[in-house]
Amino acid sequence: MQGTRNSITKRLGLLTAAATLFAGALGGLATTAEAASPRAAENKMILVARQDPGTLDFVKSNLTAMRLWIPANIVEPLVYFNKDGSVEPGVAESWTISDDKLTYTFKIRDTTFSNGAPVTAEDVLYSLNTMKASPVVDYAAAYEAVTAIEKVDDHTVKVTLSRPSQNFWRGMGAISGLIQPEANAANIATNPIGTGPYKLANYTTNSAFEFTANPTYWGKKPAVENVTVRIVTDGTAGLNALEAGEVDSLPVITIDLWEQLSKRGLDKKYTLVTYPQVGEPTYAVLNQKLDKELRETIARTLDRQSYNDAFGAAWGAENTCTFALPNQVWYSPENAETCPFPYDMEGAMATIAEKGYASTPLEYASLSDVPDLSLPADIMVPAMQGAGFNVNRNAIDLARYSQLIFQGRPPQFDVTIMSGDANPVQWACPDPTKAGWSTYCSADYTKALADADVALTDEAYTAEMKKAADILRKDAVIIPLIAKKGVGLFNPDLKGFEEPRVNVAIELNKLHW
Amino acid sequence: MAIYVLRKLVFFLGAIFIASVAIFLLIRGAGGNVAAVVLGKGATPEAIDALAHSYGLDRPLFVQYFDWIANMLSGDLGRSFRTNESVADLVTARLSVSIPLALSGLILGLIIAIPVGTYAARNVGTPSGAILALVSQVGVAVPVFWAGILLSLLFGVRLGWLPTGGWTDWSVSPWGAIRSLVLPVLSLGLIMAAVLIRYVRSAVLDVMNQDYLRTARAVGMTRTEALLKVGLRNASLPLVTIVGLQIAELIGGTVIIETVFSLPGLSRMMLANVAAREVIVVQSTVMLIIIFVIGVNLLVDLLYGILDPRVRSSR
Repeated sequence: MQGTRNSITKRLGLLTAAATLFAGALGGLATTAEAASPRAAENKMILVARQDPGTLDFVKSNLTAMRLWIPANIVEPLVYFNKDGSVEPGVAESWTISDDKLTYTFKIRDTTFSNGAPVTAEDVLYSLNTMKASPVVDYAAAYEAVTAIEKVDDHTVKVTLSRPSQNFWRGMGAISGLIQPEANAANIATNPIGTGPYKLANYTTNSAFEFTANPTYWGKKPAVENVTVRIVTDGTAGLNALEAGEVDSLPVITIDLWEQLSKRGLDKKYTLVTYPQVGEPTYAVLNQKLDKELRETIARTLDRQSYNDAFGAAWGAENTCTFALPNQVWYSPENAETCPFPYDMEGAMATIAEKGYASTPLEYASLSDVPDLSLPADIMVPAMQGAGFNVNRNAIDLARYSQLIFQGRPPQFDVTIMSGDANPVQWACPDPTKAGWSTYCSADYTKALADADVALTDEAYTAEMKKAADILRKDAVIIPLIAKKGVGLFNPDLKGFEEPRVNVAIELNKLHW
Repeated sequence: MAIYVLRKLVFFLGAIFIASVAIFLLIRGAGGNVAAVVLGKGATPEAIDALAHSYGLDRPLFVQYFDWIANMLSGDLGRSFRTNESVADLVTARLSVSIPLALSGLILGLIIAIPVGTYAARNVGTPSGAILALVSQVGVAVPVFWAGILLSLLFGVRLGWLPTGGWTDWSVSPWGAIRSLVLPVLSLGLIMAAVLIRYVRSAVLDVMNQDYLRTARAVGMTRTEALLKVGLRNASLPLVTIVGLQIAELIGGTVIIETVFSLPGLSRMMLANVAAREVIVVQSTVMLIIIFVIGVNLLVDLLYGILDPRVRSSR
């Protein structure tokens, strides 16, 4: 889910963009930011974050603003999954998996946390049990098949599963597998500790994270010793700081800045990277209580290209009907085979007239303080109204949205638009009476995911995930529109960026001057 | 005078009580809770309820209200749900940004407004007076964030003289902290000056037409002497009022400026906590601000009493 952004920030963003163009028209804004960063000689770098997480408690929080910086840099998982599917050691220096895929034995690295305390089997037991009990469902879900987490010796931990679980194994390379010292539990929200290449020297909310290289890191010493992540909630201010040479990178540029980025020519002056990991699918959510044909008709009013065009950067997103990101093997861009309800406004209008759907009042809930979502809503609502639907837009802030939609039972909406993690498991629904906030519940879909989870081979896993994706799109409750990519802008001299391995975390130790 | 002061103090305490109830009800009535925001959309209602319970948010509202007030009266402003940090510490840390910002903005505004406003009043009807009146009128219409953005673009991006934003803490580099504040203070001060110029001009114009000023001129004072020795005290009354109001406005102005320049000030912290529904942080911080604003108004009223004996004798 997108982190919290307030409406003031949104308005300021639009107005600062206007001011930039205004000032540019007055005198031009050509600067010489291409010059080498003054931080290069000092072995430092300054990056920009758009959001302040407010808490760094990765056990309780799933805010993107936290996940970008803490995992992998400060706190490491047991293992790392590479882009090509290979697995590398993390806090576990080695591991064995039984042939029946029911027993995982992790050999814990003989190392220390950044505070100098040794990493023990007890710390690993504590960490895994804490994540197993996490109130964040996505984190705890990795442990659904886990029946025991035991200490074998001071450096060995054994995890026993009731059934094979791909989710468990992949989770050990994600936030679910992060290892922290129990002794620091009380400080996790402001000063998390781990075995990562950096330690957090200081975190001032709404101001900055200060990272310094962890002197006890077990791996290769980070190339850049001191890293500051400055929190600049106004996106244009962040771009201005980059142009002024005050910062070296905006590694995550949210969708509301894409158009400005192109218009100011920043994509040419700086190193532009696009990568799927920090991307998110943007998708419409239709309440499952609505008639299936009505849902299909709404789906036909969605012109994916218009959403893509609205963000003004063709390189930033792909049109898709699959709930996934391009780095997931079951992903497919928009095409005739994978889009059961392609854009067809005339067909939709005919169905609305024929079925009398105009008499069905539809409540459209939209987030007012998240630009990535209010802009698509600005397109979607008029399109639906133009087609003949009777839609009432209810624009609300995140906290209220959380109450009405995420907490509400039944959720108080007919149509909404969301973006967030491309984790298809979030739509699993074993018990129809406990359908999640999306209202979606499908026994077939849930079974396909369960079959994928117990798959013993990657091939079988992929086949089941493709099957699940197909069920999801045909049910027309979760309707993907575009797959946004992660977009980053770097000083040309700052090199080494690699795509995130632990969820969306930007790995700072890969960057170098 | 004692009755006058007592009456103002009773009003002060009553206003604070009413404000505390209003703040409490408004933040609760806004809906949502910190547990839902922290856990995000993937959380089950059970998980949200459990976390909200651990925060004590499921207790009856009046229990929560009296608990909060009792703690406030004992000097405990509460703790953040998300980080367990003390609200007092959170506020104190941010005052080192907000106080210099607001105070410098106000002082800059006054330094510009008093001479310019007086000059505009003395030259009313002349081209220079008209130009000043026009410029101040335009200044009033310019939103403070717009001024901030343009200053940032000019002095930060284009000329590279000052940081476009961000904050260097006083403990790290006092010079860096001052540099961080220059553009925000300029933005606040210039816009505030535009507002104040108009009030100073009106007040001085009003005084210039009074009989006592003519009398002062009649006994041999020059126009400037009469203004400074006789007029200033009388013109200061409406000015004190407007400065009091501007201090309250400053809090709103700093929200925008802190956002534009990415300063970790009190206003921005409060805004972020409202969005996250950190109710205790918001309640206690807003309460402190209200006490400050009402306190300033109390001070203004008392100053009125001192400056003008007619005020303290009136009912």
